[in-house]
Amino acid sequence: MAAADSPSAALRRRDLCSRGIRLAGKMRSDVIDLLDTYVERQGLDASASVVTVEGVPVAAVERWDEQTGTQRLLENLTAYRAFRVLLAQMLEEHREQLGDADTGLGRALAAVLLQVSAFAYHLEELLRLESRGPPSEEGTAPPPVPHLGLFERKLRGLGVLRELAQWAVRSARDLRQLTKPSPGSSSAPSWAESP
Amino acid sequence: DSHIQYERVGADVTMKCGSMDWDAAVTWTANGTDIDESHLNGSYLILKNVDLTRSGQYSCYEGSSWHLKYQTYLRVGTPPKEPVLMCRSNNYPKGFYCSWHLPTPTYIPNSFNISVIHGTKEMVCEKDIYPKNRCHIRYLQLFSTVKYKVTLTVTNALGKNSTTLTFDEVAIVKPDPPESVVAKPVPNNPRRLEVSWQNPSSWPDPESFPLKFFLRYRPLILDQWQHVELSDGTSHTITDAYAGKEYIIQVAAKDNDIGTWSDWSVAVHATPWTEEPKHLTTEAQITDTTSASTSSFMPPPTTKICDKGAVVGSGAVAVCWTAGLVLAAYGVLFI
Repeated sequence: MAAADSPSAALRRRDLCSRGIRLAGKMRSDVIDLLDTYVERQGLDASASVVTVEGVPVAAVERWDEQTGTQRLLENLTAYRAFRVLLAQMLEEHREQLGDADTGLGRALAAVLLQVSAFAYHLEELLRLESRGPPSEEGTAPPPVPHLGLFERKLRGLGVLRELAQWAVRSARDLRQLTKPSPGSSSAPSWAESP
Repeated sequence: DSHIQYERVGADVTMKCGSMDWDAAVTWTANGTDIDESHLNGSYLILKNVDLTRSGQYSCYEGSSWHLKYQTYLRVGTPPKEPVLMCRSNNYPKGFYCSWHLPTPTYIPNSFNISVIHGTKEMVCEKDIYPKNRCHIRYLQLFSTVKYKVTLTVTNALGKNSTTLTFDEVAIVKPDPPESVVAKPVPNNPRRLEVSWQNPSSWPDPESFPLKFFLRYRPLILDQWQHVELSDGTSHTITDAYAGKEYIIQVAAKDNDIGTWSDWSVAVHATPWTEEPKHLTTEAQITDTTSASTSSFMPPPTTKICDKGAVVGSGAVAVCWTAGLVLAAYGVLFI
C-alpha cells in the first residue's frame, strides 16, 4: 500500500520501533524487579517450577526467525492484551487480600500494568501503519478467573510474571527484526514477506 | 585366543592359562619377559594389588612344548569419576554446545552418552568431530521458560558415572570475546588512545541480537584497571591516558539483554602519541621550532634553556639541571 510505504510512515514506524524497544527493555527490567518482590512477599521459592499456566500467553516459539513482521506484531499484541487482563486480575486479588493498604507490591504491579498497556498501544499503532490495522478487542470476553486456592493463585501469578519477562525479551528482539531491511529491497521492510 | 582384560588399580588379578589344569606346567610372560614362579599358584598367574605398570600383554605357554595356550591384554585402570560438563551458547539464538571431560584419567577407553531433554521433548545433541568431547544442539524454540536438562553418562569396563546440568535458554548465553582489537595513538593527542574491535564472528546476528561491550585498560606500570561499559558501537576513545605510558587494553562482550560476559579479548598494547624529542640545535633553528609547540600537556621544550649556544660555563649547566628537575617534577604529576 502506498500509504504504508510513504516516507512519513517509514519514519513513524522506525520511531515506534525504537521507542518500543526501549519500553520493552524497561518493562523487562521492572518485571524482573517485580518478580523478586513478588516471590518475597508471597513467600514463594524463587526456583519453584511452574507448569504452563492456563490462559497465560507463552513466549516460546518455534522458527522465530521465519516469522513475518505482521505475525510478530499480531502475536505480541495478543499476548500483551492478555497480560493486561491477567495483571489487572492479579492487582484486584492483591487488593482484595490486603484491603486498601498501599503496598510496594501493589504499586509495582500497577506500574508494570501501565507499561504493558503502553506497549500494547505501541503495537496497535504499528499495526495501524500496515493496511491491516489491529484486530478488534470488542466481543472478546476476558478469560474467566479460575477458582483457585490462595497458594495456587500465588503460583499462577509467578507463572504470569515469568512469562511476561520472557515476552519482554522476545518483544525487543521482534521489534529489532522489524527495523531490519528485508533482503533485496533498499526501502523499509515489507512485513508481509518473511522475515 | 586373545582377550582384553580390564582390572581396577589395586585389585588382585588371577589369570588362568586357558583350559589348562591347575597343576599343568606352564610359563607365563609379561610383554615377552618370563614371569617369576613366585607369582604362580599352580598354573594360575596371581598379580596382587596391580598398578598401572602392570598393563601389558600376558601370555601362557605349555611347559615342554612352548605352545601358546592363552594370551590376554591386561589394561589396569579406574572406573570413571563424575565427569565435568559445561554447556554454553556462543551463537545465540542458533543453539548451544556442551563439552565435557573427566577430572582424572581412567587409563582405559571410555564412552560418553549425552541426553538433552527440554520439557518432555528429547533433543539430539550432534557430536562434533573435533573436539571430540563436544556436541551441539539447535534451539527448536526460543524464549522458552522451560528448562533444559542435560545428562552426561560416561561408561568404561570398570564402571559408570554421570552428571546432570539444568539450565534455561538464556542462562548459558556467553559470547566469544570481541575480535580484531586494535588500539592506536591519536596524533597530537598525548592522552588519547583510539580503540576499535569487531563482534565475535561466532555471533550470528548482531543486528537483531546486539552486543554491548566492556573495555578495560591500564598502564603497564599500574595494577589498577579502568573500566568503561559501552552499550553500542565497536570503538571507543580513551581520553585520560597517562602521557607516554604504554597501555594494555582488553574488551569483553555480552548480549544486551541476556546471559553473561565473554572472556576478555586478547590484550593489545599501545602508547599515546608523544611529541618527538627535539635535538639540540642552533639558536636560529630554536626560534622556528619552539613556536610550533601546541600541546599544553607537553613539558616545555628543553632546547630553549639547554641548547649548546647557551651552555657557557657552569652557570648554564646549573640552568640545564634546573630545567631537568622541572621536567621530572612535571612528569611525576602525570603518574
